[in-house]
This record gives sequence, structure tokens and C-alpha cells, in this order.
Amino acid sequence: MDLEVVAFLILSGLEVGAAVMTVTAKKLVHNVFWLAVTLITIAGIYLLFLAEFVAWIQIIVYAGAVPVLFLFGIMLTRRKIMEEPHESQ
Amino acid sequence: MTGALIDLFGWSYALASFLLWIGAQLLGLGNWISLQLGAPSPGPLEGMIGFVTGAPLTSLVAIILAINILLLWATAFHLLIVMWIERKMYSRLQDRRGIMLGLGSSEILRNTLGRIPLIGRPFRKASHLGTGFLQTVADGVKLFQKEVITPASADKWMFHAAPVMIAASTLFLFIAIPWSDGFWIMGSRLPNGDVVNPWGVLVILGAFSVAPLSILIAGWASNNKYTLLGGMRAAAQLMSYEIPMVLSIIALVVFAGTLDPFQLVRQQSAPLTFGLGPFGTVQIPWLPNWYIFNPILWIAFVVFFITVIAEAERIPFDIPEAEAELVEGWTTEYSGMRFGIVFGFKWLRAIAGAALIAILFLGGWSGPVFAQVWIPNIASPGNLWPIPILPQEFWFTLKIYAIFVVFVWIGWSVPRVRIDQILNIGWKRLLPLSLLAILLATLARGMGWF
Repeated sequence: MDLEVVAFLILSGLEVGAAVMTVTAKKLVHNVFWLAVTLITIAGIYLLFLAEFVAWIQIIVYAGAVPVLFLFGIMLTRRKIMEEPHESQ
Repeated sequence: MTGALIDLFGWSYALASFLLWIGAQLLGLGNWISLQLGAPSPGPLEGMIGFVTGAPLTSLVAIILAINILLLWATAFHLLIVMWIERKMYSRLQDRRGIMLGLGSSEILRNTLGRIPLIGRPFRKASHLGTGFLQTVADGVKLFQKEVITPASADKWMFHAAPVMIAASTLFLFIAIPWSDGFWIMGSRLPNGDVVNPWGVLVILGAFSVAPLSILIAGWASNNKYTLLGGMRAAAQLMSYEIPMVLSIIALVVFAGTLDPFQLVRQQSAPLTFGLGPFGTVQIPWLPNWYIFNPILWIAFVVFFITVIAEAERIPFDIPEAEAELVEGWTTEYSGMRFGIVFGFKWLRAIAGAALIAILFLGGWSGPVFAQVWIPNIASPGNLWPIPILPQEFWFTLKIYAIFVVFVWIGWSVPRVRIDQILNIGWKRLLPLSLLAILLATLARGMGWF
């Protein structure tokens, strides 16, 4: 099989998996982490298209800035920032 | 005629062919034994030998070797030297000698090498031979031996993912940073001998921009007030300083017309030349054409230098880890080699920032003009070829260390700035300055000045 096809299958599998985890993960910070994984793998797929400029801009803007803004929004707006330690255990 | 000491891909290809040749010899021995035992004529391992010595596997092994050599050179070698430079330098600034324990202090050396007549003379008395260089190695070994403790209430998965993300993004920086015309990973060689990597500076910026996310996640996952505060401060600082950093690079890119580190260094290795619009050009032959000497781009240099210090979380901008108030900030809960990674890779980001400053504004690996011998070019008469006296890697390493010494000098001379002062400096000073630099660079490019 062609190496590019293998790379595309790995990247797209990671991307779909991370997108599903973005929606289904329970903690909001995990959602943002999986969103970042999704966006970075999209940059990898751009690289496979030989669109290098778009790929690096994707990493700078979407992997670097957008998830951090989400995290800031989450952490600054929620009243209870951290999980309480489990007292029952 | 590149003046590069190391041709990384050539060397690693030779090394890979040698290693695979040894493997092929072992396979050939097995093949011979099985032939003696009565196997059919070409032998069972003949196809495998062909695969091992073939070109595809050799190039794959060569690329893996090249990446490993460059990363080891950048991390293991330069990290130790830079840590030693920092410790010696701030000790001198505090009027003391700092770490002095070295090879000459060890009794083992005195009892073994010192016993040898004539040669053992420098080891016979306890001395400060090595001036404490091995102290950094000892600290590394100590970190390896320590236990990795995971806090009970931490988000374990994220807690261990964050150092991996930090290490990956920092090592990715060194994949994109070339050390000379021959010592690079990312790029391609044109038929005329020039190396190009059209989006090199963009790749480096992209690798820098992943750090805030991983630091924020590290601070959150430790589930500790101090780490969370440190992570928030780090992300706020890194995010807000990335904007003037990128804008000052845009000023340079508008002026230079390329994002290619090799092309930027080629442009800067000529003698200093100013275009004066309708009045022709002025050339200063004894100065190189570094962009720091440019009447406009030095504004971008000042902005970029300050933002690199902030991006590396070095001391005037180290509120994310402020040890007096936040107990090392977002790195508090890490221990053992996890702490080694999050702590040491800050130095690596400082090295990468210094390398970026050197490439963008200080001529990269091109030596000063007076350190070159000019010989006539036989191929095109009338032209002169610059031949550097010292190899390019020497100049590049020297520039990185010099910039790092300035980092240390600034860091241990000025007090830490508060969070409101950081935001004021970032948004009210650096951002307008970088916009001004973009404006002036665009004007100069449009009018043909400088």
C-alpha cells in the first residue's frame, strides 16, 4: 500500500476518534485537549495535500491560540474551577 | 563552497550504510552456515540481505539517524553547556564563583591518573579542573534516579500527557532550526547547491505556539492552586507576547521578502548595503548586512528580543513560576524526570529563541566579514568568493551562547515584573512598536529605501 494512504488513514482515524472524544468526554478540559488533537491532525492532512503554508498556519492559529482561548473561557467563567477531592473514597 | 563543517545527511547516510553493512555481514554468516547444513543454493537469507543493503532501508535509517544526531546535539550537548554558562554567569554577577566541583576535585582521579609520572601532574593536587561542568551532569543523573510521584487528586492521564506535549513541541523547534548550510533536517538542496526551506520561520513559530496549551493543561491537571495560577499566568503571558513576536517577524519578512531561514542568512552574509531611493546605494564593506544594523528593523529586533525572553519564561518575565509566591508555579507537582523535562525544556526553548534571534537578525551562521578570505572566482572572472576561516557551526554556536549570556545578564540584573506591568509592556509598548516596525518596513520596501 502507498505510504501516503497509510499516513492518511492513520491521521484521519486519529482525527475522527479525537472529534468523537471532543463531544463525549466528561470534563471540559479534556474536550479542549481532544479538540486540539483534532486540529493538529487536520494540519497533518493539509501537509499530505502538500499545502504546507495552510498546515503551519493551522498549527499557529488553531492548535496554538483557539484551544487556549477556550481553556481561558472555561477557567475564568466557571465558579468551581477544580474538582473537589472525592470524600467518599 | 558552503563553509559548513558537517554535512548531516551525508554523514548519517554513511553511518547507516556502515551499520546495515554489519547487519548484512551477520546475515551472510547465517546464510553460509545454512548452506553448509545443506540448504538449497542461494540460501534462505539471500532475499533479506538484498533488502537490508538496499537503498530504501538505508535512506530510512539515515533519516532516523540524522534526526537523532541533531536532537542529541541540540538537547544533550547544548543544554548542558547552556545550564553551566547560566550558573557560572549569575554566580559572577553575584561576586562569587558558583559551582567549582569538577574532575580535579575527585579523589579517584588523584589516585589513578595522578600516580602516572609526568602526565599525571595536573591531577596530583585537588584542583578546580573543569570548573564545575560535571555538576549539571550530576544534577541530570540525580533527576533520573528520583521517584515519579503522581498527586492523588491529579488528573493522571493529562498530568502525564502534558510533559510529552511540551517535549514534543520543543523538539519540533529543533527539527526546523538549521545549524549551518549542511547541518539541517528540514529543507531541500537545490541543484545549484543552495538549501531552501520555504516556510522554515513559520514552522518554528508554530512549534512555539503549542507551548501555552500544554503548560495550561499541566497546571490544571496537577489539581493544585499554585500550579493552576502558574499555568494561567504562563498561558496569559505566552499568548499575549506571541502577538508582538509574530508581528515583529512580519516586519522582517515584509522587508526581507522571505520566510526561508537559509535565504535570510544568505541575504545577511553580504556586506552592509543601504538603498537610498533616488540617491543610489551606500555600502559599508567592513560590516555584514545583518538586519540588526538596519535603520528600521532594529525596532523589530528590540521587540523580538524582549518577546523571546518572555516566551522562554526567563527571569524578568518569570511570574508563571515565581518561586517566592507560587513555589515554581506550574511545575510544582512534577517530580523526577518529569520535572527534568518541564524544567530543562525551558532552557531548550531559550536556546531555540536565541537561535531564532541569530538567524533572523544577527546573520545566522555567517561569520563577520573580516573573518573571511576573499578569493577570485575562476568560473566567473571579476567576482570574489568569500571563504570563511572558521566553520559556520562555530559562528552560529558562538552567537547563540553570546545571546544566551545577554539573557542571563538581563535576567539576574533586573527585578521580576508584576502581572499588570507585563500586560502593560506587552500591549501598550511592544505591540505598537511592532506595528510601527511593520509600517516603516512596508514604506521602506515600497519606496526602495534601505
